[in-house]
Amino acid sequence: MNLVWKLLRQHISIPQFVGFFFANLVGVVIILLGVQFYHDFQALDKEDSFMKASYLIVNKKISAFSTLTGAQQTFSKSDVADLKNEDFVERVGAFTPSSFNVRARFDVQGFVNFSTEMFFESVPDDFVDVASEAWNYQEGSTQIPIILPKNYLDLYNFGYAQGKGLPKLSEGILGAMKLKVQIAGNGEVGDFDGRIVGFSSRLNTILVPEKFMQWANLKYASSENTKEPTRLIMEVNNPADERITAYLQDHDYETDKEKLDASKTTFILRVIVSIVMVIGAVISILSFYILMLSVFLLVQKNSTKLENLLLIGYSPAKVSFPYQTLTVGLNVLVFILAVVIMCVARNYYIGMFESFFPDYTVPDILPALGVGLALLLIVSIFNIMAVYGKVMSIWKRKD
Amino acid sequence: MDKIQLIDTLPNVFVNRDDVVSDIWNKEVSFERGKLYLVEANSGTGKSSLCSYIYGYRHDYQGRILFDGEDVRLYSTSRWTDIRQKRFSLLWQELRIFPELTALENVNIKNKLTGYQKKTQILEWFEMLGIADKLDAKMGRMSFGQQQRVALIRALCQPFDFLFVDEPISHLDDANSDIMGRIMAAEAKRQGAGIISTSIGKHIELPYDQVFNL
Repeated sequence: MNLVWKLLRQHISIPQFVGFFFANLVGVVIILLGVQFYHDFQALDKEDSFMKASYLIVNKKISAFSTLTGAQQTFSKSDVADLKNEDFVERVGAFTPSSFNVRARFDVQGFVNFSTEMFFESVPDDFVDVASEAWNYQEGSTQIPIILPKNYLDLYNFGYAQGKGLPKLSEGILGAMKLKVQIAGNGEVGDFDGRIVGFSSRLNTILVPEKFMQWANLKYASSENTKEPTRLIMEVNNPADERITAYLQDHDYETDKEKLDASKTTFILRVIVSIVMVIGAVISILSFYILMLSVFLLVQKNSTKLENLLLIGYSPAKVSFPYQTLTVGLNVLVFILAVVIMCVARNYYIGMFESFFPDYTVPDILPALGVGLALLLIVSIFNIMAVYGKVMSIWKRKD
Repeated sequence: MDKIQLIDTLPNVFVNRDDVVSDIWNKEVSFERGKLYLVEANSGTGKSSLCSYIYGYRHDYQGRILFDGEDVRLYSTSRWTDIRQKRFSLLWQELRIFPELTALENVNIKNKLTGYQKKTQILEWFEMLGIADKLDAKMGRMSFGQQQRVALIRALCQPFDFLFVDEPISHLDDANSDIMGRIMAAEAKRQGAGIISTSIGKHIELPYDQVFNL
């Protein structure tokens, strides 16, 4: 095979192959980085596992005027029914507020001692994405699962702890700690253990299971507690839907705008990443075209040699092998280098993600590896077939 | 393979000519293994075409060519490759050597494929043909006569049932022609193979079993 290679490497144009190599490298790096960045970015979003991106929280606008006139801030039954009728709404649930007093105490031996007045709210359980065992309240039990707003933790970590020189707490540590909860009302007092099942950056409230809320409202609240809800949670088909914004404006409703923006951001990011990846793909396809042209040119220039090899008994497969190895070798090299470059580039933004979001768990690079390998495989198979096809055309040219 | 048959074979370019007078074209001819044939021809009578049809790299003919009774038009690529490695050896008139490689490399590129001849045998042939000093010379720098001798050695680096030599001595003197003839005959005899030699004048002196006028 050595002699055959010595023959067939004649006329190999190094500049052409170097050109292909770098062009393809740029293309593949862009594609891999796009895939990986999108994957890594989505892992950021997954942080809030309690609320899907398609959930929106709606309340009526509070203005100075409404405060003065005492206009209704609550949603009537017809408001809810009207909302349910809209096409973009999948389902609607109401927030149920607590009608009793809640005091919570946080005790971390020695250094944190925190006590505060607070409140609970609940939403229908099927809006909460927590394993049902974890989000379950047994009547009579003193254990209450709680979801806290992420803001609370941030307030503590970046404000309180920072100022007092206390240690910062991660979600994991807090989750393992107990929150002492005392509930009072209707002449009754009860002590409970709050178990923090998680933090939500979307829900600006302290959430408990609906079952607990119903039970506690009956027991601790004064009789008339059939209040209308002040906030609604709804699942929509597409948070970026323009009709949602229009509907909310028409009815003077507000939503957790940030989330709407965030989902728009995700959507726009997806579009941008797609565009970037398409550009990468175009570069790759063009470079692949260069490679094929170079190989075809090479085959053409060496066609006499190839033909003579075939005539002295070399099989088309054997004659194709050197050029197939050359192209596949280049592809493999591009793949390896592209993965390395991607990993280096990724380190920059991963570092940024991690400094902004301390709880960010770095995802693996399997998506990029998968896409890279798939590209490598497809392109290599295509190269192998194209070279063989060219050699066969030399074999048949004498027809 | 024991027998090559040509039945009413005629190059397509001759189809419209009615002045074709030949012992081979448009006749029924067979070549048998172990026998020696000489095909004499004037230029332009399709001597190289005959070789290329039988060797399977041109198919622009009508009629049939049979190997042991089987029509070669049905042969697959791998079958032809196998024939070129083990059944037929052809010394082309245009040699088809690789000018970028040395004489020895030109022989080795074939012998490495078949693994058939020992290096000592190859060197002995170089010696006998008087080109031992050219072993490492680039083919492109050698004279056509020298190239012809290297091409013959390459042609012998494989097992064969038939050896085709297309004007093998066009650029050789009588002494070298004799040596070439002896080497070819000896190798063919050892392998029990047939030789089909063509010429347009000067031909290798061998005890031919049959002579055709193309």
